[in-house]
Amino acid sequence: MKNMKKWLSLSLAGAMLMGVLAGCGGGTSSTPAPVETGAAEATGEPAAVEQVLKYGTDTWPAGFDPHTISAIAATRVFNQVYETLIDFNPDMTFKGVLAESWENPDDVTYVFHLRQGVKFHNGREMTADDVVYSFQRVLGQTDYGDIGALGSTDSYYGGIASIEANDDYTVTITLGEPNAAFMANLTSSYGAIVCREVVEANDGSLSAIDTMCGTGPFMYKESVVDNYISLVKNPDYWEEGAPKLNGITYYLLADESARLAALRTGDINLCSLSALNLSDVEGDENIKVLSYQSNNYTYLGFNLSSEKLQDVRVRQAMSMAVDRQAIIDYVYNGEAAVSTFVAPAMGHWVWDAPAESPLYTYDVEAAKALMEEAGYSDSNRMTLTMAAGLMDSIRDTAVILQQQLKEIYIDVEITNLESGEYVDVWGIMDTPEAGYDSMCGQNGSGTDPNRAVSFFFSTTGGANVWGYSNPEVDELCAQAVATTDEAERESAYIEAQKIVIDESPNLFFASPMEYFFVSSSVEGFEPFAANANNFRSTYIAQ
Amino acid sequence: MRNYIIRRLLQLIPVLFGISVAIFAVLRFIPGGFASGMLGIDATPELIAQVNARYGLDQPVVTQYLNWIGGVLHGDFGISFRSGAEILPEILTRFQVTAELAILAAVISWCIALPLGILAAVKRNRMADRVVRVVALLGVSVPGFALSILVILVLSLFFGYYPPLDYVGLLEDPAKNLEIMFLPALILGCSMSGSVMRMTRSSVLEVLRQDFIKTVRAKGASERVAIFKHALRNALIPIVTLVGLQIGSLLGGAVVVEQIFSLPGLGLMTLTGINNRDYPVVQGCVLFIAFVYVLVNLVVDLLYAYIDPRISYD
Repeated sequence: MKNMKKWLSLSLAGAMLMGVLAGCGGGTSSTPAPVETGAAEATGEPAAVEQVLKYGTDTWPAGFDPHTISAIAATRVFNQVYETLIDFNPDMTFKGVLAESWENPDDVTYVFHLRQGVKFHNGREMTADDVVYSFQRVLGQTDYGDIGALGSTDSYYGGIASIEANDDYTVTITLGEPNAAFMANLTSSYGAIVCREVVEANDGSLSAIDTMCGTGPFMYKESVVDNYISLVKNPDYWEEGAPKLNGITYYLLADESARLAALRTGDINLCSLSALNLSDVEGDENIKVLSYQSNNYTYLGFNLSSEKLQDVRVRQAMSMAVDRQAIIDYVYNGEAAVSTFVAPAMGHWVWDAPAESPLYTYDVEAAKALMEEAGYSDSNRMTLTMAAGLMDSIRDTAVILQQQLKEIYIDVEITNLESGEYVDVWGIMDTPEAGYDSMCGQNGSGTDPNRAVSFFFSTTGGANVWGYSNPEVDELCAQAVATTDEAERESAYIEAQKIVIDESPNLFFASPMEYFFVSSSVEGFEPFAANANNFRSTYIAQ
Repeated sequence: MRNYIIRRLLQLIPVLFGISVAIFAVLRFIPGGFASGMLGIDATPELIAQVNARYGLDQPVVTQYLNWIGGVLHGDFGISFRSGAEILPEILTRFQVTAELAILAAVISWCIALPLGILAAVKRNRMADRVVRVVALLGVSVPGFALSILVILVLSLFFGYYPPLDYVGLLEDPAKNLEIMFLPALILGCSMSGSVMRMTRSSVLEVLRQDFIKTVRAKGASERVAIFKHALRNALIPIVTLVGLQIGSLLGGAVVVEQIFSLPGLGLMTLTGINNRDYPVVQGCVLFIAFVYVLVNLVVDLLYAYIDPRISYD
């Protein structure tokens, strides 16, 4: 027994030691760095300040395949690595990225002239074949078949009839029918140009972080999962003098307070934070706040299979009973704009409903009158079940709606749904099976009104989950997408907005501001809604 | 002894089988599937079908389970839907971080709890005892996340300090690794020490009341011998049980602390897996955590025999 005890104590001590030593293995899943970090040495510039941007990110990307992932946590990383044919300027006009120029010989044909001498991060030159292969991959036409690519739907590239390389630097894309939103769709990361041999070497999947190989200004160096991602400057980048940074390192800091603390100590230079933190950095000369109007908006969507909600008066009454400014003041500290489903950031595409629609005037008496007309009163109140997402801003908005609708004989019962369940319920909101009369959430207008209007409110729109159908809106959407005449498109979309807002299949509330909290030394970074992660001209001042 | 260990290890089989069925079923029953989560607002029935087919989610649930468990029996935990990475190597890598954190936290908690717990028992109902009891109550009741954020805020605001953000392993850079691990381990250790302190106090008190301590004192042994050689050893069994349970659950990942301090441990891996509905990742993690938990409890049971020779497994 004594021997046994000795053996046991020895082995336990051994196990403890092993445990501690095992802890050392460290989890660096780094691949050999393709280039050294010291790019400054290579260009001969003095590197008094380490030109590496340290970015505090809130969520670890769920994957790194630009064709299947659209979440912001992922795009903010792979948009540095992959590039598209074209992109938006801040004024929402197009600029060439991998395409140097393009022409439209007719309504359905797009000819792109590619930039010459652009190299993938593996050193091979990008040619028209890669562009063709990338779109084939999205459309499920490679050896790997359907990959569930988001861009394969009709609202993106589903309408491509053919895509071919005329020569090494010219690509012709032909659509089945005219689609005015096609150019805007090309700016999406779903249109990223990927490297054929990398796709093939990884059996068709680009989900893993070390498969990232694009033409962008930064290339993948190393990472520790759930901890950090290090990108380094692409020394062969095609744009003269860009990027100025030697690298970007993303650190996962899920907690807001942790991000703010790390920004204060200079351990990160940049992160996004909510409006609630604004007052904390007031007067701090080391931190500046960059803000821009997002193209997101909050909404309350109605399940139109529910009989009581088929009465347009009820929906209109609710619109008038909502004090949108109160939502903005309470939920966003005043840092948001009253919005419709075409968010204010979309400029000339927006119909100014807050000024022109009577339904945007907060008028409880008029709302009550409409409800009474529809047969409701204090003794005959309506119960409205509401599913709400888990985002703080949505939860708070739902509670305010509950308060405000009480005034007009409506009792709201809120259920907060976790994100997976939310998406599932959202998909069947035009059926009684959804189990809810309404849903409160946040959507994005995208960058083209085709998405903002047709995708969400035409009868066949992919995101029209409400059972809303109006032939006039459908007709206007079809007109608008079939012409490239901007004025004609604008008037069609404005007309459609008037109808949708008047019929109120959804109510729309606020479009929040987005904030980057940035060290004062970071220069040359100007985020805007269509591109909030362009660091090509960014540098860190001495 | 050997038979006992073998018997306990054999008991693992039904336990792990039950857990594998339960976690597999729970994941399929919770609302929100992998495909709709991945595709979000752009999900169309066709896209969902494509993604399901790609990941084998269009097969009957029983077939899916058999495929998965068959792989696990061959040491193949499958690959993550999201990252495409192999799961078992990832779990083992993550476990090293979590294990280091758990061991450091446990050591810190013993260093705090044992001396204070004994002090409180010996000075029962005097000032020292009261102070220890209040401290212990605080340790038990202040949640780890609140303490973590408080510590981070105080250090950054008043001392301009934030622990290093890029994780390195202990062997790569021991000093930096310990700097990264120190705060989270301290916070977990403090949280753990509260209950250990209370357990130590009551357990030592109970033993001190027993007759054999009187005998020890009567035969003229010093107070130190009475307490450390005789009382503490006899008081250890419940303490070890508690510590075993605590370490067991820590080895499953201290989710909140790992998240706040961005430690790439097993807890964070499981959490991300759940959020992404990355079924094979969650299944693999839960199975592994259950395995470790059972194993730690076995070690604790074996420790009983070492601490108290009257306990025998033969």
